[in-house]
Amino acid sequence: MRRTRNPYIRAAIYLALGFVAVYSVFPFLWTAMQSVKTVREANSRTPRLFFEVTWENYSTLWLESTPENLTTLSLTVLVIIGVVVTAMVFAERLPVPRWVVYWLGMAVFAFILWQIPRIVDTAEFYDYFLNTVIVTVGTLIVSITIGCLAGYALARYGGMAGAIILIAALAFRALPRLAFIFPYLWIGQVTGLINTHLLLIVTLVAINQPFTIWMLRSFFRDVPRELEESAMVDGASRLTAFRKVVVPIVWPGIISTSLFTLLLAYNEFLLPRVLTQTNWTLPVAISQFAGGEDPAHVTLAAAGAVSITLPIIFLIIFFQRQLVRGLAAGAVKG
Amino acid sequence: MQRKTFYGFSAPSLVMMGALMAFPLIMSIWLGMNFMTFRNIQTPEFIWFRNYGEVLTDPQFWQSMRFTLIYMAVTIPIQLGVGFGIALLLDQVTRLRGLFMAALLLPFIVVPVVGAMLFRSMFDPSGIITWFFRDILDQRFFFTEGSIKAVIIIHALWYITPFVVIVLFAGLQSLPSDQIEAAEVDGAKWYQSIRYVVIPHLRSLFLFISLMLIMDAYRVFDSVFVLTGNNPIFKADTVQVYNFEVGLQVQRLGKANAMAVLTVIGVLIVLVPFLIMTYRNQIAERE
Repeated sequence: MRRTRNPYIRAAIYLALGFVAVYSVFPFLWTAMQSVKTVREANSRTPRLFFEVTWENYSTLWLESTPENLTTLSLTVLVIIGVVVTAMVFAERLPVPRWVVYWLGMAVFAFILWQIPRIVDTAEFYDYFLNTVIVTVGTLIVSITIGCLAGYALARYGGMAGAIILIAALAFRALPRLAFIFPYLWIGQVTGLINTHLLLIVTLVAINQPFTIWMLRSFFRDVPRELEESAMVDGASRLTAFRKVVVPIVWPGIISTSLFTLLLAYNEFLLPRVLTQTNWTLPVAISQFAGGEDPAHVTLAAAGAVSITLPIIFLIIFFQRQLVRGLAAGAVKG
Repeated sequence: MQRKTFYGFSAPSLVMMGALMAFPLIMSIWLGMNFMTFRNIQTPEFIWFRNYGEVLTDPQFWQSMRFTLIYMAVTIPIQLGVGFGIALLLDQVTRLRGLFMAALLLPFIVVPVVGAMLFRSMFDPSGIITWFFRDILDQRFFFTEGSIKAVIIIHALWYITPFVVIVLFAGLQSLPSDQIEAAEVDGAKWYQSIRYVVIPHLRSLFLFISLMLIMDAYRVFDSVFVLTGNNPIFKADTVQVYNFEVGLQVQRLGKANAMAVLTVIGVLIVLVPFLIMTYRNQIAERE
């Protein structure tokens, strides 16, 4: 559409958009404020805008007992994470191969996560956080790996079977989750796999596969066949051509798909709610605070909500473009 | 690509979907024919179609189905209309656009359970809406069956409309500007260009979004579950929430499976025309 030049209308447009933006983020701002109040002030009948900031809710949520050198410890962890992230961002300029930097960085993160409960006395919320990390990362790796292979095959194969598989996947994607989750519950109970990370990862991968292959297929279809064909003429196998030629070109699309897979696994509530009894993930853990009458739950729920939302805010800050492109690609090409 | 290579590449994914989507779906038909609770889960009792009959004569099931349909009928048109409006406004600005987009993305991609909790906490005794009703309007806010349904719908508008905005906005970016200019040269007013140029251009996107919204609204669970949580006084169950209660709280696993199968049949009826359409597109693409 052509842009209007009338200054009054332009001001009105900005005002309207500003209102929409404030309406969208207001509940988050409000909760962030509640999370740094004392229980008394958060439960005050008249909302207080001016109050003393306290981090007590966060330490109650995450820690069983507060160690004396907490500040030093958390600063050390933050510095290590900062160094690793910087190294990964500028991996190309380092004298070692890139994949070495990435794997080392991941190993350092895993080591830190694993060591923290041995240094400080963490509360249950930390265990739920670890469960979420394991399940999300596991789902992401498996889902994208097998999804790329299938998405590529579906983009290149001209036979009838391809069309039928795509239609079946589309139908699966539309169905209510409980139709799959109740049988999973039965399978889990009978095999004894209930409450394990393995069951969660495998079922999450399956449930997200239809979405993943549709989206990845749309990205693979944009790659000209000639590229991999010339590589195969030069003697590369189909798999090598796929890995060395096709994947690097589709990489931005893979990143977009990965972001949505990550969000789907991180946000999932119903599946872990049914398939775990104690090994909760964060959404299940925090839902326990909802709607309780206990006044202390108000601040704990707020601190928990902020803790869960922070990674998503980072995701928006660093990957806004990829997220928007992913949504648009799913719609325009799907 | 050779058929053998095709199956080689897609085998892991196909095995996954076959074993954990197609097979469970068939299994749930059988599970629905058993009387089963958590106690006799290893030795279920086979009762043919009694569970299915029980679901179809359960007034609570139909009540939840009615609310689900009302929820769809109210939220989807508003999301489409308001979302299209906001997308048009967003298309008019360049400055601060990234900020507006980021603000819109947040409620859409945040953990749905958390989004619902944030909404709900505003209605707590210490919440800002409770305060607003008490100190500004001098009334008390009560959760009743009617008001909780209103809150569920407002929350749905809050977190799903951004999806419509972002997809339609992306569609607006691909609108050829010469068509709009031609319309303006012909003396079309702005609303006429929207009606006769923009909307026809976005028709397939509207269709896609509507389908996604229908699918997601039909199986809405997280937000309703959290917003109504721990309050058996009022009933604002959607089909999925009631299905969950029958399975996990009443622990009638057989009946819950039967209900899941029936809801699947319900959505497939709506879906079949669209599936046929996609199938035709796929075949056309292959020739």
